Amino acid sequence: MALTGLQIYKLLPQTNCKECGFPTCLAFAMKLAQKGTELANCPYVSDEAKASLDAASAPPIRLVAIGAGERAFEVGNEVVLFRHEKTFYHQPGLVVRVKADDPKIVELTARMVSSYAVERVGMSLRLDGIAIEDSGGGAAAFAAAVAVARSAAPGLPLVLMSTDPAAVGAALDEAGADRPLVHAATAANWQAMAELAKKHSCPLAVRAESGDLTALADLAAQVQDAGVDDIVLDPGTSDPAGMLAAFTQLRRLALKKNYRPLGFPIIAFVGAGSAEEQAAMAAEAITKYAGVIVLDGFEPALIYALMTLRQNVYTDPQKPIQMEPKLYEVGAPTASSPLLITTNFSLTYFTVSGEIEASGVPVWLLVADADGMSVLTAWAAGKFDAEKIAKTVTASGLGGKLKHHKLVLPGYVAGLSGEVEEELAGWEILVGPREAVEIPNYLKSVWKAD
Amino acid sequence: MTELEIPVEKWSGAVRLVTLGATGDGGTRTSTVTVGGETTLPFLHFEGQIPNAPVVAAEVVDMHPADWSPALLEALGDDTRDPAAWARKMVGLGADLISLKLRSTHPDQGDRSAADAVATVKSVLAAVGVPLIVYGPGVVDKDNEVLVAVADATKGERLALATCEDKNYRTIVAAALGNGHLIVAQTPIDVNLAKQLNILISDMGLSLDRMLMDPTTGAVGYGVEYTYSVMERLRLAALMGDGMTQQPMICSVGEESWRQKESRVADGVPESWGEYATRAVVWEVTTATALLHAGADILVVRHPRSIAQVQRSIAALMKGV
Amino acid sequence: MAGRTPKPKAKVSVTFAPHGRTVHAAAGANLLDIALASDVKVDAPCGGQGRCGHCRVKVEAGTLRRRHNPKLARAEEHEGYALACEAFVTGDVTVSVPTAEEIRSRPRPGTAAEKIALPFHCDWQRHPAIRKLTVHMEPPSLADNTNDLDRLRRELARQHGINDVVVGVGVLRTLAKALRDADWNVALTLDMRNWVLDATVPPRLLAIDRASDTSPNFGLAIDIGTTSVVAYLVDFATAEVVDTVSAYNGQISCGEDVISRIVYSQRKGGLERLHHLVIGTVNELLHEIAGRNKIDLTDINEVTAAGNTTMTHIFLGLDPKYIREEPYIPTASVLPRASADWLGLDINPHASVYCMPSVGSYVGGDISAGVLSSGLFLTDKLTLFIDIGTNGEMVLGTKEWLISCACSAGPAFEGGGVRDGMRATAGAIEDVWINRETYEPTFRTIGDRPALGICGSGLIDLLGELFVTGMIDKSGHVDRTLSSPRVREGGHGYEFVVAWAPETGRGHDIVVTETDIDNLVRAKAAIYAGFRVLCTSVGVALADVEQILIGGAFGQYINVEKAIEIGLMPDLPWERFEYLGNTSALGAYTALVCTDMRHEVVAIAKRMTYLELSADNAFMDEYTSALFLPHTDLATFPSVKVQVETNGTAARHSGHRSRAAQRVSAEGDS
Repeated sequence: MALTGLQIYKLLPQTNCKECGFPTCLAFAMKLAQKGTELANCPYVSDEAKASLDAASAPPIRLVAIGAGERAFEVGNEVVLFRHEKTFYHQPGLVVRVKADDPKIVELTARMVSSYAVERVGMSLRLDGIAIEDSGGGAAAFAAAVAVARSAAPGLPLVLMSTDPAAVGAALDEAGADRPLVHAATAANWQAMAELAKKHSCPLAVRAESGDLTALADLAAQVQDAGVDDIVLDPGTSDPAGMLAAFTQLRRLALKKNYRPLGFPIIAFVGAGSAEEQAAMAAEAITKYAGVIVLDGFEPALIYALMTLRQNVYTDPQKPIQMEPKLYEVGAPTASSPLLITTNFSLTYFTVSGEIEASGVPVWLLVADADGMSVLTAWAAGKFDAEKIAKTVTASGLGGKLKHHKLVLPGYVAGLSGEVEEELAGWEILVGPREAVEIPNYLKSVWKAD
Repeated sequence: MTELEIPVEKWSGAVRLVTLGATGDGGTRTSTVTVGGETTLPFLHFEGQIPNAPVVAAEVVDMHPADWSPALLEALGDDTRDPAAWARKMVGLGADLISLKLRSTHPDQGDRSAADAVATVKSVLAAVGVPLIVYGPGVVDKDNEVLVAVADATKGERLALATCEDKNYRTIVAAALGNGHLIVAQTPIDVNLAKQLNILISDMGLSLDRMLMDPTTGAVGYGVEYTYSVMERLRLAALMGDGMTQQPMICSVGEESWRQKESRVADGVPESWGEYATRAVVWEVTTATALLHAGADILVVRHPRSIAQVQRSIAALMKGV
Repeated sequence: MAGRTPKPKAKVSVTFAPHGRTVHAAAGANLLDIALASDVKVDAPCGGQGRCGHCRVKVEAGTLRRRHNPKLARAEEHEGYALACEAFVTGDVTVSVPTAEEIRSRPRPGTAAEKIALPFHCDWQRHPAIRKLTVHMEPPSLADNTNDLDRLRRELARQHGINDVVVGVGVLRTLAKALRDADWNVALTLDMRNWVLDATVPPRLLAIDRASDTSPNFGLAIDIGTTSVVAYLVDFATAEVVDTVSAYNGQISCGEDVISRIVYSQRKGGLERLHHLVIGTVNELLHEIAGRNKIDLTDINEVTAAGNTTMTHIFLGLDPKYIREEPYIPTASVLPRASADWLGLDINPHASVYCMPSVGSYVGGDISAGVLSSGLFLTDKLTLFIDIGTNGEMVLGTKEWLISCACSAGPAFEGGGVRDGMRATAGAIEDVWINRETYEPTFRTIGDRPALGICGSGLIDLLGELFVTGMIDKSGHVDRTLSSPRVREGGHGYEFVVAWAPETGRGHDIVVTETDIDNLVRAKAAIYAGFRVLCTSVGVALADVEQILIGGAFGQYINVEKAIEIGLMPDLPWERFEYLGNTSALGAYTALVCTDMRHEVVAIAKRMTYLELSADNAFMDEYTSALFLPHTDLATFPSVKVQVETNGTAARHSGHRSRAAQRVSAEGDS
């Protein structure tokens, strides 16, 4: 179980030698508790302390890598049930399923999946892999489909979906070096599957039926005993309620009970329904603990929404909420509406824009990038100074939107007005109220366009 | 191997039961909607009781929303020109209740009078038997004027009056208090602010079973994660027994998700965004589902396909294991 | 009155000592009412609501029926003390009432004008820092032509076992003449600080006088605050504080807070000017103290100074620029000695000046000194040490670990950013009570002058009173429906009139506005959020804190009860709070006279962990949670919860209930 900073501190040498890079042992211990550093950085920790700290810091959910090379992805190693408690670390892989029976479709799908990319907030989001599903055509056909996918999409991680050890064996002879995820070992075939996974050092999914976690744990333990370390769990649920219950229980067993046989990432199948049906299942899987999510077919409209949700949910919630620094329109401002500037701390923005809205006076509200700090804090930290304000105005694209050149500064930085005036030639710098609550009065009775 | 012991939390609190709509004592609804009562996290039937399924409200506006996404207007057809007909249609499509926005009373949207608003509300009440959530235009003074008039004219209907915010709640709360209505308390994506507003409103004497909370919705790609975590935290606090976080939660999924470029723009966007009509509906459904799992009790949505899908999801999730 | 004594009223006689006045009253009547009706002055700023505890009297003869009140300890009750407002006469009785002078001079907790003493036992006699030793030398001759310095060294070793001594050029210049003027019998002033702990480190020679010279040996401990500078003159012979002086920091004209000073320091010549201003302030204090005590300033042989990191930087002439900029680091935490002449201090020019070490940019030497003088570094108890000012600095820990942080409270507690706020000087309202029924305030000003404004402690009182009387709600908004001329809409929203123009020394009404209230709520929220984050960061609960030590110049004026009511301080039993006074000056003093403590304070600073709050989202969350009265989570303020629930809106709307009836429901008779 996770130790607090103070508990860890008591196990450390308490010499404040600074060799770990932290100013004190307590600072190091606190960072260790947040999993922000490693115990190995302390050169003087005793073996005894090391043993107890290692036990406490072993990841309750194993980190499993799927695929090889650049596009390989890692899942697992999660430490919380709710993202606000810390963060979710390894976003689930989104893979697209295709049946093995038509090589043309396999090839086309593999190409599309491999090349799919969408831009969002400066990041290129991509799909993580393709799942080739054995359609019962025999080992050779399955292996051939896998070969088609590999050549159509080199380096794209694979999920080999078959319960036939012969088919999986043939496919692994083809693609074993790529570390595909084999799905799945079941009560009926686990010895052979484990043998194959071990032979090719591949991750192996174990599947129980209808959410039977006891059976799943047995299976995972057997496979592990057979020498497979990288395991992915499939509790065999296909309905939303069953999936939620099973996934939640798995996550709780791993984190709260430190139950090792089930301390692995989970694979979810969202079924073969309409785009919105799949969207609902996949949104559940993304928010509730899936490590790999298998979509049924390549549907960009669905994929884009899911990748966006995935990116959102796996954002670090410990970072302060920041507004995007840009020019906001509050109400419907015109060329003669006032221009106010503030910082990009969300609460500051909400307070200021709320007061402006309440005033009924439409306003151009320019939000400067101040690392999410409030006006006074940002000023104190030198992140909201004359230079930053001038830059924000210049880069805002205000262009022809205004017919006046007046900028209203927050009252708290009244002292900057002279400097801002120097930086912004031709602008008149006005000082607004210190407190947001006085903005309506200011806008109605003080501010004049000319 | 022995049977696994599934970790089950022993929650001490429950979400408060809130009933919208009334069938007697001034209420003219043919049915009411009760939300809340959960004693566990969303849909964890193995752990606690979920006596009331989350519900879907369809959004209806009192004027033809010409600026709405073409995909929506096409799906809704001509009924958007008559709020009563629109509401009837949405109930027919499976909405559990109607969220009526009195947009035309906004000073910039026609500035219709409070009396007009009352007439609109009455026409919708007459057209459907389900409960109503009534939104003012979202401008402080006009909200107060319009919602007070509506509250007075519909005494006993147990409407939910929306929205009370920290800068403007007293008048609306007083109107709810005097006429047996409910209120929606909206705060900007913050656990503490949500709780504070609940406390302030309850300090005015409005009983907690007449309050819904709206933690402010962000759509997928536009802050859904903030809403998600705030809701999750509020729900956890509620289950841990914090009486000021136990209000059922309402989310404006439709409004937020249809406002985004992904849902509004068909052409001139990257090919990887996929087919427009599907994308727009999926965006609303994805937002709704994420928030359903964070603890939403009432989801306000717009598109007929979304209503159908969210209802299907809720039905599936309510099937205990 | 109470209405709980229904029987026909018998007359009883009540005698007030020491006035000797005897009056007759109905049995069952309230003692405070009797006193007021009889023109006997009883101090009752809360207007007899049983809330201030000021109207205490002592029963000399007879008995009173009284209710228990938390303002009076049980022990005091047993000694015969009673609160007049909570006492009812049942028979003939004699009570003594403190005179007006006694009331005026009654010290508030921790402000007792007691002698300043070392905060804990330390063995200063064994290890004096600055010592005077006499040395007798044979004059040099052709036979013994050893040079002056070696001669001195030789005799020092022979007579005192001190084998080496460091002599700077400055002292060396005076050596030849001084030895001869003294006829080779000299008194040496030596800085033995390090030598006493490690005899391989030679002492430093500070002055040479005649052996017959009996001039005293002084040290100076200074607290360099952003607002004011305090100095203690210390006699090394006794380790006692001879006198204390204080003055505003001359830098105030260059900005009120550290950030403004840093900004100023970046102007052309700004740093030099700031440096000279603070040195000037210290020199003024030196001359004042010298004049008053008739001492020669050159007899001051050592200085210790404690200040926040910025003040310390400027005092030493170090550029504070990088304190303000990410990643917020000072030039140095442990500072080298400086000499008095180099800094420009008007004392023995060879005296060393030692600055207390800082922990981080926003936890400075004043806090290290505070941890030292508070004894926090020695305790087994989980302790929270706080120093509240513009910055709220706090340290949590035990003798085993220490963690600190600083949160920006803004200037509200120093009277800044508040319309009628002012510093705690004469004329400042420092103590306010508001009557629950009439909403009329009673207040006291510093020095009993006409009111000029409200200082920090007055603002805390005021906020607490406005809240517990239900005049503002939990979000700090004034109840617009109150019928009191004191509640009105001003130019900047709603406001409450604390003093009407004629009662003031300013010619206009003194008010507190909703904006002021907002500022105060934010200030208190920042401090309380700091407590919470500090505790959470190490995994302890705030409620588990066993003692809260309130240090700093401002801390001693905070009324803990009010501070809890507004959620500035955690709702813990009062006995866990302790006022320590100016812990920064005390720490400098301790380090001045106790050699080993000088090393201890460095060790404290080095082992104290600094928690940077700006990197912490948890802080924002706690802060928002604390932006409420007393707090969003009322369950963490159980005693305030009781008050709010008992005296809140219900009482207000129930009309004119007697105060007795209200109180009975809260406590019952005892």
